[in-house]
Amino acid sequence: MSEPGAIGEYEDLFENAPCGYLTLGADGRISKVNATLVAWTGFPADELIGRRLHQFLNMAGRIYYETHIAPLLRMQGFFNEFALDFETAAGERLPVIANAAERRDADGSLLFTALVVIKATDRRRYERQLVDSRSELQQGLKTERETAELREQFIAVLGHDLRNPLAAISAGARILQRSGALKEHKELRVLDMINTTVTRMSDLIDNVLDFARGRLGGGITLSRSASRPLQPVLEQVVDELRTASPQRMIETSFAIDQPINCDRTRVGQLASNLIGNALTHGATDQPVRVGATTEGGQFKLWVANAGEAIPPAAMEKLFEPFFRGDARDSRQGLGLGLHIASQIAQAHGGRIDVTSTAEETRFIFTMPL
Amino acid sequence: MFFAHGFGCDQNMWRFVAPEFENDFKVVLLDHVGAGGSDLSAYDKTKYSTLHGYADDLVEIGRELGLKDAVFVGHSVSAMIGILASLKAPDLFGRLVLVGPSARYIDDGDYVGGFSEKQIAELLEFLEDNHMGWSAAMAPSIMGNPDRPELGEELTNSFCRTDPEIAKAFARVTFTSDNRGDLPKVKVPTLILQCSEDIIASEEVGKFVRSSIPGSEIVFLKATGHCPNLSAPAEVVSAIRAYV
Repeated sequence: MSEPGAIGEYEDLFENAPCGYLTLGADGRISKVNATLVAWTGFPADELIGRRLHQFLNMAGRIYYETHIAPLLRMQGFFNEFALDFETAAGERLPVIANAAERRDADGSLLFTALVVIKATDRRRYERQLVDSRSELQQGLKTERETAELREQFIAVLGHDLRNPLAAISAGARILQRSGALKEHKELRVLDMINTTVTRMSDLIDNVLDFARGRLGGGITLSRSASRPLQPVLEQVVDELRTASPQRMIETSFAIDQPINCDRTRVGQLASNLIGNALTHGATDQPVRVGATTEGGQFKLWVANAGEAIPPAAMEKLFEPFFRGDARDSRQGLGLGLHIASQIAQAHGGRIDVTSTAEETRFIFTMPL
Repeated sequence: MFFAHGFGCDQNMWRFVAPEFENDFKVVLLDHVGAGGSDLSAYDKTKYSTLHGYADDLVEIGRELGLKDAVFVGHSVSAMIGILASLKAPDLFGRLVLVGPSARYIDDGDYVGGFSEKQIAELLEFLEDNHMGWSAAMAPSIMGNPDRPELGEELTNSFCRTDPEIAKAFARVTFTSDNRGDLPKVKVPTLILQCSEDIIASEEVGKFVRSSIPGSEIVFLKATGHCPNLSAPAEVVSAIRAYV
């Protein structure tokens, strides 16, 4: 099979292959180079032969070749897929991907090193773009993290600064109440209104801060425990709302006989938001009814009020932030109460369902025990 | 005898040299933090922002092992790291062998380091081009386990893998370092092994180190390139043996 034609074909394959071939002698100098690489680099074969490979690389490539590639080749006997930049005779950059393998004799002495280079202009540009976009992303992420941290601080400071004056107002009202200085019916009503407003304001601040944290920070975090009872917390919430709205009726029926693995403060907040919502939107001459049960491995808390049914269009948006129903009362809040209640429910692995008819509107919070 | 590798590799650099001394010396090898089997979590940006951080590690290891008057063999940038360690802890090393040392890589006035600032900046960028295949997820299994065949194909180019970010930082520290002022302070006998045709640390650079370290000696190796410890281990071994 060794006709001249076949040999010619092999030679042609070497010389004119669509990749560059290069051999380095045992002394590390170029001993053979094919016509393709000669054409790509623009250096005639006799200028390449006898020189060292790194002399035809750009400076970064030279350093890299000496510190990384050459040691690796010696230790491993080959290398694969290294990016290198040749410098052509015209002074242009020729980006390539190179593989190499050593050939050794039976005693392990190096005979020569064979090197294959593949032109990789587009590939290398593409990879460079990947690297660039990755560093852009990392930079963006860093900025984002810093902003998030700043926001967290802002939220904490805001919460603190808003609560402090409120606490002062509340303390002042309490002193007036205890001193007995106010006796007139009208004066006492003003005192009641101050208390009511302080409670509402305090709830609003809680909701705003929770919303900000939930949206901008890490979401609502829970500290759950089943060891302490939930019922006293719910009773306290109801008491506070009764004090805040003395003219309204709130009826409760609690049947909690199993421990509930929940964040009691958060579930208290959820209850407060649902009851507050019922007080705002329910019929003022009818009681708001609140119930809680532990049954079938679930905890259920429901809040019901009489009054007009929620329109179907509004039903879908109830739990969206800043949604405000068509309430006549100007006392309605920011529209965050239900949103945060549903966030708290979700954080507990639970949910809030709503049914609304002309007779009754009922919110039901369900979570696993 | 304490061997320290340079930029671009790990203790594998010494695989043909260090074993030759095991009969006569207690041989200590290390991977600088960020290289080889080192604990990547120990990498501290601030500490390793100068060669002093690496030198402190040598001192710490030396103290831990109770080394005194040891022979230090440092390749490339570790030559300067060893000098700094010996200035910090004068009793630690009794002799220094510097393989391909350079006190400064970037040209400065009359001083010829071999590189311009622009070229070093290009190198830092170029490093990115060859870390495309480096995956952080693979790192724990690749690094320090080049001989594990089960890692198969992924293991091509397995020796001397480094975390790209750390490699870049190490490159910056290495190639922007200037230790010319430290050389005259060296108090211990020092041997310089100078390769021929070394583009990283040229003969001129080696001679500068030799003339700056009082009483130092220089041996010119026939070996070419920057890594005689790999390309001509026998020559390196006999030069070290003749000195220690």
